[in-house]
Amino acid sequence: MTNSTRRQIIAAALALPLAGLTAQATTAETLNVAGSGGGLAQVMDMLYDQPFTAATGIQVNALATTDRASAIQAMMRAGNTVWDVAELAPVDYAIASSNGWLEPIDWARADPDNMLPDAARLEDAAVVATYSTILAVRTDRLPEGQSMSSWADFWDTDTFPGPRALQNSVMDNLEFALLADGAAIDELYDLLATDEGVDRAFAKLDEIKPHVTAWWTAGAQPVQMLADGEVAYTSAWNGRITQLQADGVPVELVWQGGGLKPSYMAIISGTQMDEAAHEYLRMMLTDAERAAQFAEMVAYPAMLPQLYDHLSEEVGASLPTYPANMEVQFVTDALFWAGRLDELRERWDEWLLE
Amino acid sequence: MTLSQKWTVLPALALALVMFAVPVALVLREALFDPGWTLVHFERFFGRPVFQNVFRNTLMVAGIVATACLLIGYPMALYIVTRPARWRPLLLFLVLVPMWMSILVRTYAWMVVLGREGVINHALLALGLIEAPLQMLYTSGAVYVAMVQILLPIMVVTCYSAMTEIDMGLIRAARVCGAGPVRAFRQVFLPLSLEGVLTGWSVIFILSLGFFIVPALLGGRRDALLGNMIVTQVAQTNWGFAAAMAIVLLAATIVLLALVRLLAARFIHSPREGGV
Repeated sequence: MTNSTRRQIIAAALALPLAGLTAQATTAETLNVAGSGGGLAQVMDMLYDQPFTAATGIQVNALATTDRASAIQAMMRAGNTVWDVAELAPVDYAIASSNGWLEPIDWARADPDNMLPDAARLEDAAVVATYSTILAVRTDRLPEGQSMSSWADFWDTDTFPGPRALQNSVMDNLEFALLADGAAIDELYDLLATDEGVDRAFAKLDEIKPHVTAWWTAGAQPVQMLADGEVAYTSAWNGRITQLQADGVPVELVWQGGGLKPSYMAIISGTQMDEAAHEYLRMMLTDAERAAQFAEMVAYPAMLPQLYDHLSEEVGASLPTYPANMEVQFVTDALFWAGRLDELRERWDEWLLE
Repeated sequence: MTLSQKWTVLPALALALVMFAVPVALVLREALFDPGWTLVHFERFFGRPVFQNVFRNTLMVAGIVATACLLIGYPMALYIVTRPARWRPLLLFLVLVPMWMSILVRTYAWMVVLGREGVINHALLALGLIEAPLQMLYTSGAVYVAMVQILLPIMVVTCYSAMTEIDMGLIRAARVCGAGPVRAFRQVFLPLSLEGVLTGWSVIFILSLGFFIVPALLGGRRDALLGNMIVTQVAQTNWGFAAAMAIVLLAATIVLLALVRLLAARFIHSPREGGV
């Protein structure tokens, strides 16, 4: 590990300032957007990046990145902002926001016609997409005549025998355990704010632990496990399961008890491209037709309510923000997790090794 | 050492300084200053049993993998070194071929082999030897098998190069003096090859300490190595704690390897020193 740590930490300390030099030479007409690469980047390139360049003459440099909170910390320490705009998962956003690493967003420029709901308009970030951690079921592995419809069913190993997987993550699993134990969706974070609530969640997790054969760490793993028949039931990210259905694997998403999460887009403090970054956000946030096309392709819809006007009922019903789906899910509380993640993950790691 | 010899070592020294000493010093600073002098990260590490468990597990896995590589790799190297000279490059080549593939690809290949609907389970089911698929993936066994397979070529090559330095005349002399093949091996060849064995074992032990992809993809819930924890901490911007864990691992490695060296010094004879 010495090798790898050295690489990670020192790369941050040494390589980033160097990367900054090369990036700076082109900042005049390039907007550096840090995303997660892969298929998502291709869709974004088609729907947002290319039209943005056509309209403004500014090139979009889409970067495939991971551990973005950590990378932003390195930029702030080096005093050299390499990214102009970055996509952030809930906990990464909470870390970056509380440390003051994000530029305030001027909503008069990013959403001049007030199209977005307030929940998507944060002081220093915009919600550009949503995704859910849901229960995914291999329907051909279900017992005759049964169907799985909640976390309580996932916990019910007598009615539903078979190997299971969960994410190796304390976030989501504590919520799922409380739901399986009969808690209501709107009381989850009140319960988790108390020691008794956390103990209750871990006690419930004790029950399922022996039946979980794999604890996944990357979003592609549950997809592969379901496709290969390695497990019959697992938590997973909704868009990946929609894709798996399209590939013809007999899988089903259970929205009941899913954890809905915003995916944020923020402007990094110290950028020279504030104007272009706002324009980029405006294009991404306020065009319902493009937002609908995006949701059709990746199943991670924006919070623009009008996008459903451009979608068929069938596609709409497969999205996490569809009203009927939203009703049965909880919204992951990023602030709760940013504050307690370290401590609760330590307990989780301990629990997992027991 | 002549003056010109001293100069030739400079580039290597400079490289080690820039690529190793400076980064380690930076990591140490990260662990001890936050921003002022503090031991809080080390207190956290030694205060919570979870980190101790993972730390012990990491050292144990590294030790077992290195030893398994030794037990498999040494006979392989011995086999190659005793073949006619014209065959040896081909055999060595075959040993090295797997190293051209990335660790990630080989890890995924193991998933295909060990999976519930994988090659082994399919074969055993078809032969009627088992009735339900065996759970091989997501176990410690899967982690060991993959790590040994990935690191084995390094052991073979290290042992091989040590063995080629052994003067075969010494073996013939032992035979002439009346030793049987087993005794000649045990009393002459084996002691002379121990230097290579120790080098190979140490290299694999150190490399194993840094593994985190293999346990994350093939292991079960108890198979986390310290590498996995350091990666998580770095991602969550807890650099100080990640650095402290890295320093503990580095220090433990240095101490352990020094002990192994000291212990081994009593038994090892370098083939270059002569005199048994």
